[in-house]
Amino acid sequence: MGYKICMVSDFFFPNMGGVEEHIYNLSQCLLLEGHKVVVMTHSYGDCVGIRYKTNGLKVYYLPIRVFYNQSILPTMICNVPLIRNILIREQIEIIHGHSAFSALAHEALVIGNLMGLRTVFTDHSLFGFADASAVITNKLLQMSLTDCNHWICVSHTGKENTVLRAKVSSKRVSVIPNAVDTCAFMPDPSQRSSEFITIVVVSRLVYRKGVDLTAQIISEMCSKHDKINFLIAGDGPKRGLLEEIRERQGLHDRVTLLGSLEHSLVRNVLNQGHIFLNTSLTEAYCMAIVEAVSCGLQVVSTRVGGIPEVLPEDLIYLTEPNVPSLIKTLETAIDDLKNNKVNCPYLCNLRIKNYYNWENVSKRTEIVYQKVMQERNKTLQEQLWSYKTSGVWPFLLAVSLCYLMLQFLEYIYPREYIDIAKDYNYKKKSKEKIY
Amino acid sequence: MVVKKPWRKILYENQPYPDNYTDDSFLRDLRTNIKPVSLGEALWGATLLLEEFCTVVAFVLVYVYLYNEWIQPQSIFTISSVFTALGFVFYRLVYSKDVQVNLGHDLRTLLIFMVFGHLFSPVLHTLTDTVSTDTIYTMTFFMMVIHLIFFDYGVSAAIVSNSLSLSAAIFASICLASRLSSAYHAFILITVAVELFVLFPLFRSKIKKSFYIIGPLVLSDVYFLMNSSVLFMIVFILTGVFINIGCPVLFVRYQKYKSNIYGPWDEAIVDDADSVIEGRNK
Repeated sequence: MGYKICMVSDFFFPNMGGVEEHIYNLSQCLLLEGHKVVVMTHSYGDCVGIRYKTNGLKVYYLPIRVFYNQSILPTMICNVPLIRNILIREQIEIIHGHSAFSALAHEALVIGNLMGLRTVFTDHSLFGFADASAVITNKLLQMSLTDCNHWICVSHTGKENTVLRAKVSSKRVSVIPNAVDTCAFMPDPSQRSSEFITIVVVSRLVYRKGVDLTAQIISEMCSKHDKINFLIAGDGPKRGLLEEIRERQGLHDRVTLLGSLEHSLVRNVLNQGHIFLNTSLTEAYCMAIVEAVSCGLQVVSTRVGGIPEVLPEDLIYLTEPNVPSLIKTLETAIDDLKNNKVNCPYLCNLRIKNYYNWENVSKRTEIVYQKVMQERNKTLQEQLWSYKTSGVWPFLLAVSLCYLMLQFLEYIYPREYIDIAKDYNYKKKSKEKIY
Repeated sequence: MVVKKPWRKILYENQPYPDNYTDDSFLRDLRTNIKPVSLGEALWGATLLLEEFCTVVAFVLVYVYLYNEWIQPQSIFTISSVFTALGFVFYRLVYSKDVQVNLGHDLRTLLIFMVFGHLFSPVLHTLTDTVSTDTIYTMTFFMMVIHLIFFDYGVSAAIVSNSLSLSAAIFASICLASRLSSAYHAFILITVAVELFVLFPLFRSKIKKSFYIIGPLVLSDVYFLMNSSVLFMIVFILTGVFINIGCPVLFVRYQKYKSNIYGPWDEAIVDDADSVIEGRNK
C-alpha cells in the first residue's frame, strides 16, 4: 500500500500556471503508482467543497477568501480546525506543500508538523537578496519552513537559492525538475508557413518575463528583415507596450497578439512557429522552452537562473539578456534554419520525452517520500527549537498557540469522532493507456 | 570498481547520484559584496549632503540677518541676484544648446515670479502671523529636516521625492517670512528661498561634486555664523566634520558587516523599452 499524501497549495485548477500543472500531473502519476493523493486549495469563485478530478483525484476547495494575488491571508491560526479535520479524515501521512507564495501551504505545513506528520515542500521560484521585499519574504520562508522534513527544488540553481535564503542544510534539499507531457506537444511542421519565418513568444506579459526586451527585438527585427513574423501568446500588464510598438511601426500584419490561451491550445501556437524566443529575466526552470523544443522549434533564450541546466547545448541558443546579443543569436538561428542545419522536430520530441517525463518525476518524488517516512518523530521541544533558529521569537508564540489549539480541538472534537473518508476505488489502469 | 561519471549541473539526464547530492561546485557562482565603496568615494559622496546642509544654513542666516536688520533687504536682493544671474549665464552657456529659444521663456518666468511675488507677498507675510514664534521655529526645523531627508542627492532610492523636499523648504520659508518686519522683507526671503532651493540644486546637479561649490559655501557660512554667534559656528563646524568625515569613515569601516548576495538567480537588469522607443522616434 502506498502513502497517503496531501498536496497543498493556493494555486490549483481552475487557475492556470506552472505550479498548477505540476501538482496535477504529479498527483496523477502518484495515483497510478497506488498512492492515495488528495489536493487542498482555497475556493475559486463558486468552486467550493469537494471535487473529484480525473482518476479520482480528490480536491478540497476550502471556503477561505483570497487575500492577495490568489493567495489567502496568512493568519496561522484561523484555519487550524478545518485543516486538522481534513488531515485526520483522509488519514494523511505526508503533506506536500507547493510554491513559496502560497500562504495556505505554509499554514498546512506548520499544522502538519505539529500533528506529527511528515512534510515536504516544493519551491518553484527564485528570489534575489537585494531589495527589501526579498528580505522580508526570505525571512518568512525561513521562519515557517525550517521544520520541514524535506525540500524539493526544480533546478540546481533553485537549490542554491533555497539553501541560501531559507538556511536549510543542503542534504535536505533534493533537485527534481519539472516535466512535460510530450504527447500533448507533438510537432506538426505542416502548420508552419513556408513563406515567412515565424518567431513565437509564449509567456505572461510581465516585467520578469522580459517583455521590454521582446518589444525592442520586435521593432529591430521587423525593420531589419522583411520575411519575419511574430506570434505572441499571453496576457499581462505589459501587453500595452507590445501594442504600442505594433501601432507606431505599423506592424499589424506582422505581429499577432493572441492574448491569453488555454494550455491545451499552446501546442497549436507553437506548431505555427519556427523559432521560439524566451526573454525571461529570471527563471527557476523554464517550462515554456521545454514545451517549444518538444514541438520541434529552435529555441533562443536568455542565460538566466536555471535555464542553462534545462537543455543540452545543441537544442538551445543561449545568450545574454540584452537586445544586441539576443538579435545576433536570433539571426544565427535564422541562418541555421535557412541552411537547414536544424534538428528534426520529431527527434526533438523523442529526446525531450527521454529527458523529462512525469513518471520519472514521480519516481524521484517517491524516493523523497520514502526518506521522510523513515525519519523519526520530533518532539515539540525539538520543533520549537528548530523554529527558534530563524531568530524571530514571536513566531514561537504563534506556533505554540497553534499547538494549544490542536490540543484543545483534540478535547472538544476528538479524533475518534471524525469520520474517516472512504477511499476512492482506484482502479489500477495500465500505464500504456495514458502514456 | 566502476568509476562514476563526474556530476554535472544539468537536469536533462538522470545522473547516478541521489537527488539531494551536493557537489563541491555548489554555490560556486555566489558573489558577495561585488563593489565595496572606497573611502574616497564615500567622502566625495558625503559632500552632496554637506552642500545641501550648508544651503539650508545659508538660508537661515539670511533670515537671521533680515530679522535683526543687520543688513538692508535691498542689498541681499542685489547680492543674491548677481550670483543667480552669474550662475544662470554659466548654466545656459555651458549646458544648453540653443540659448536664444530658452532665453525668452526664462525671462517670462522671471517676470511672472517677480510680479506675482510682489502681489502676494503681503498675503504670505501675514499667513502664519498668528502662530507663536516658538511654533514657527520648531516647524521650520522639522520642515528643513524633511527637506534634507527627501532631497534628491542623485541616488535612485524610493525615499527620494523632489516635490516633497521642495514643498517642505518653501513652507519653512513662508513660516519664517511671517516673523519679518514688512511684506518687502518677506518677498526678499521667499526670493532667496526659491534661488537656494529651486535654482541652486539645478545648477549643482549639472556641475556634480566640485571643490568650487563646497569650499566657498562652507567658508561663507562659517564667516557669517562667526559674526552672529560663535557657539553656532562651532556647532556648525562639528556637524560638518561629522557629516563629511565621521559618517563616511564609519560607513566604509562597517562595510565588512554587510553581506549582499549575488548569483545566477538575480533578475537581469534591462533598459526600459519606453526610453528606447522615445529615442528612436526623435
